[in-house]
Amino acid sequence: MRRSQVLAIALALLFVTPTGVLAGAAKKITLWYPAGDVTAGAAHFGDKTLFAEFEKKNNVTVEAVALDYDTMQQKIFAAAAGRNIADVLFIDDSWIPGFLKEEMLEPVADDKAKAWLAAVSPEIKTLSDYGKGRMWGYTQYGIDVYGLTWNKDHFKEAGLDPEKPPKTWDEFRDYAKKLTKRDAQGNITRVGYAIRHVGQPHGIVHKHFWAIHGAGAKLVDDHYRLRGGKTMINTPGGKAALQLVLDMLDVDKSTSLNFPDPRAAFLKGIASMQISETVSIQARQPKEAPDLKWGMALPPVPKAGDRPASNLGGWLYSVPKLAKNKADAWKLIEWLNSPAKDYELCKKYNASPRYTVNWDKEPFKSDPYNQGLKQMYPYGIKLPINLGFNGVMEATGSAIQKVWHHEASVDAALAEAEKLANQAIADAAK
Amino acid sequence: MSDTSDGAVIRCWRMLRARHILHAYLFIAPVVVLFGIFRVAPAVQTLLYSFYKVELLRGRFTFIGLDNFARLLTDPIFQQAARNTLVYVVAIVPISGILGLLLAVLFNSRFRFQEFFKAVYFSPMVTSTVAAAMVWWWMYNPQFGIINVLLKLVGIREQPWLMSSSMALPAIIIFSVWKTVGYNMIIYLAGLQGIPVQFYEAATIDGASAVRRFWRITVPLLAPTTTFILIYNSILAFQVFDQVFVLTGGGPANSTNVVVLDLYRQAFQRYDFGYAAAEAMVLFVCILGITILQYVYSKKYEIAY
Repeated sequence: MRRSQVLAIALALLFVTPTGVLAGAAKKITLWYPAGDVTAGAAHFGDKTLFAEFEKKNNVTVEAVALDYDTMQQKIFAAAAGRNIADVLFIDDSWIPGFLKEEMLEPVADDKAKAWLAAVSPEIKTLSDYGKGRMWGYTQYGIDVYGLTWNKDHFKEAGLDPEKPPKTWDEFRDYAKKLTKRDAQGNITRVGYAIRHVGQPHGIVHKHFWAIHGAGAKLVDDHYRLRGGKTMINTPGGKAALQLVLDMLDVDKSTSLNFPDPRAAFLKGIASMQISETVSIQARQPKEAPDLKWGMALPPVPKAGDRPASNLGGWLYSVPKLAKNKADAWKLIEWLNSPAKDYELCKKYNASPRYTVNWDKEPFKSDPYNQGLKQMYPYGIKLPINLGFNGVMEATGSAIQKVWHHEASVDAALAEAEKLANQAIADAAK
Repeated sequence: MSDTSDGAVIRCWRMLRARHILHAYLFIAPVVVLFGIFRVAPAVQTLLYSFYKVELLRGRFTFIGLDNFARLLTDPIFQQAARNTLVYVVAIVPISGILGLLLAVLFNSRFRFQEFFKAVYFSPMVTSTVAAAMVWWWMYNPQFGIINVLLKLVGIREQPWLMSSSMALPAIIIFSVWKTVGYNMIIYLAGLQGIPVQFYEAATIDGASAVRRFWRITVPLLAPTTTFILIYNSILAFQVFDQVFVLTGGGPANSTNVVVLDLYRQAFQRYDFGYAAAEAMVLFVCILGITILQYVYSKKYEIAY
């Protein structure tokens, strides 16, 4: 054979082979989720076998891509603006208003939404329903309800009953004082209560939500109102909520600005109490603090007889309007969130199920952690869905920081937060 | 030579010259085109956006005139960002410049391991700002950071650093000085080596002390270098973003929020591109104004011996 013929055949093969390979290749569905320990449910996307059954049945490849939580919202928006976004987004439900404002998400089909809302437990229904049965995604299993977690050994050491957490704010302050430890120079080496005061404003507000709502204040007057309304943060309740921690910082000296990550501090044993996602402590404790004996309860209330308040939050599987493979994306989400998959995954990852029928099955029926959570769920409050919510959170988070960093008085900080939050609500309503 | 042949020579020369000019433009065309696409076009687009309410995802652009700029005047967060940026610029430019000059004077004489030390001082400049900032974030950690550990060893109380709204900006400034001093040192070193040795020799013969030689010869003759460093560092300082984003995210309580970070947030968290564009325009005008002022002012003090 002539050399030129050999070359021609080789080149032809070079062109034909990739085409053939590509033609036979499975379609790819991308899923974006937050990296790290931000939410317990996200860690499961690293499991290579999670989607195996779906991939085989539907001849698709599911590519789960981890993004940094702090910049994930911006990346999603930039991807949407660039018309190159994932097919499935696993997103924080507090981001939903921002995405709705830009009309970025596909709603769940009405019939599917109706079926889901009828089949899930009450707290999941609360989280999933964005008014009149409209859903913008499927709430993940193992939803967040914020709770007080405490170190039982520290309690014993301080002469406190390890099975009795503080129930009122006065008890809370008293316990925190007793649990705080100092070195010879007077520096705090262990805080009685760790606070979150730096980083994303959303995170700061989430971790103080229990005090704000527990004291009668509200981030937005009507949590189900999409447009308009006003903030109710600059009220006696809002002021009391900020003053509580300020007093713990300045008067009791039972907390400190030097321990900025409450969960990490708690798991490291340098904080005796913290209030954040219980599901996160449940997931991280076996790896990071295997010897830690901890308790979980609702956050304390201003005075005896008040109703406790907590955040009910979670993450959502949603499909952006600009996704390239919408049909397959919904198929994947519906498969992942079916009753059978819900039971299988919750059992595997020790998370709380969503379907009512699964709560009646073992191990959930008799598991103390899950049953404990079930007692707490009714006190969980869903975050507002107002389109100006991002601005409300930023304003409130900023006010909290200013007060605790002694940049402004409680009155001045909340007055400014009220002005900025109402401005954000009004701007978003236009 | 006849008139006809003179004309032909001139025509030939003109053609050659035109061809040379064409070749020159062809060679710089790729850079100019890329510059136009990636620098000029976005800048013009930003200017236009600043007069609009921009809803990028919905493709809606509503002309609102100067409303975005008017909003800036009453926005307390932007005002704080502007103040923080100004404090940052006023601190970092002279500190980094002076330290760079002192190091350059030191390295202008020969001593053992000089090249090694030069590399040590220059290496922060070639390190990724984000990577370096992440390391410094850990160094500043109140409980575990090496800075507090060292302070404790010498009997100084541990500091909250990035956790404190009064210390966070100084902490960022310290990082930025560490990052930029090496570059200033190299530029000044090049400037120093351009000063003729005879001036120093003549001054020494005349009995001038080292300090006097420094102030009377070195500083004035380094005026062009100083102008460059002032302008360059000022422009960079006004646009500070990376280290603030990584180290503090603008907190605590917006105490380290700077203009570029604020406009990033407006654009990508609040999705308010028009307002972010207005902030960018204000920043551009400030940088341009200060650069012109510095340039004009520094020309007065340039001397030649």
